[in-house]
Amino acid sequence: MMREDIISARKNLEDTLRRLTGFSVFVPEAKLFSMVCGCVGFASDLRGLLLASVEVSNENIKNLFEDIAKSLSIKPDIIYARKLPGSEEIVGLTVRELCPRCKKEFSGDEPRPDIFVVKKVEER
Amino acid sequence: MADLAHDYKIEIDVVINPSCFGGTHLTPHGYMTIQWYLNQLNKIGVDSVTVAEPYIIELLDDFPMKTVVSCISMIDSPQRAKFFEDMGADVITLDPNINRDFKMLKAIKKSVSCDLRLMVNEGCLYYCPFRYSHFNLFSHVTTAGMRPPIFGDYYFDKCISIRVRDPEQIIKSPWIRPEDIKKYEDITPFFKITGRANTVSWIINCMNVYCSEDYDGNLLELLDCPSELRDLYFIDNKKLEGCIDFWKDCDKLCVGCNYCKMVTIDALKVIDDERRYNKCKEES
Repeated sequence: MMREDIISARKNLEDTLRRLTGFSVFVPEAKLFSMVCGCVGFASDLRGLLLASVEVSNENIKNLFEDIAKSLSIKPDIIYARKLPGSEEIVGLTVRELCPRCKKEFSGDEPRPDIFVVKKVEER
Repeated sequence: MADLAHDYKIEIDVVINPSCFGGTHLTPHGYMTIQWYLNQLNKIGVDSVTVAEPYIIELLDDFPMKTVVSCISMIDSPQRAKFFEDMGADVITLDPNINRDFKMLKAIKKSVSCDLRLMVNEGCLYYCPFRYSHFNLFSHVTTAGMRPPIFGDYYFDKCISIRVRDPEQIIKSPWIRPEDIKKYEDITPFFKITGRANTVSWIINCMNVYCSEDYDGNLLELLDCPSELRDLYFIDNKKLEGCIDFWKDCDKLCVGCNYCKMVTIDALKVIDDERRYNKCKEES
């Protein structure tokens, strides 16, 4: 089942981003990950997406990633776009269930210079 | 290894072509290291060395190995070609940006007597604004010793994304189709297939296609730099028949000309998921 879920998540993400932006945004890779600290998540590599599009479509992207997270049994603690600091080019979108340590580190609007937060960590 | 290659009548070329040595080549230690390395290459029977740095071209004068000037030396004019030939170049790899400028290619051909080499499938953006910076980045991240801990390859990410948003840039990039090799007969018989970092099977396929001078398929399967986009776009190579005749006389002043845009609309399609799936099935 997991195999079909991840195939469908990648396709769904690509189709939705294309519909939202009008560009043939490309998702060359999507993966489930587990980190040594305890975080788990779904990450996608992206080509052709600009920060402005993520800002404009923030709510749609948030909803989409919450759905993807649900289908993969991940709790969507944070959803973020990864960019190169100082650049408008988005190179990845990730939804992540955070471990207690990362939950602390990822709180706030701009926890790291290379990420744009689509869904904030809820304050405790 | 050189002996084995020679048994099969294959020459060995070693590429030492960073665009930037950070000045280390001009230190006593750097000079000694480079001299030692060139000596070793010569001893093991290497036939030629590809370089971009003028100082190393001069150092190679003391060795019997052929000096091949890299495309990273950006040779795009008779003046520049003559300069490198006078420094000791036996072969010059021309800047691919002039691949479709036949007037310039012919002028360079007339200006020098060394061999010229054309890169057919690099596929970089035409007059790419990142070219110098990207080559410099490669020079430093691939060097031994202190490597900058970069957070990503900005130039690559940007280059690919630009083409996702504006695929016309793929058509404008100065690749040479396998079928169009014959148009360059008056310029040179030497062509270089780029993409040594790709899989061996990709390289062999590319070589076979260019040798046959005929290809019915997605042009992106043959291009090196934007190969990541071969699963996004399908460029029908057969629909590009004859474009070279327009481009060879084109002044490259794109304002007011929609030729490349029209070619893009006609020959390039976004690959849908079903097509991707079928392609993978065929390949397996």
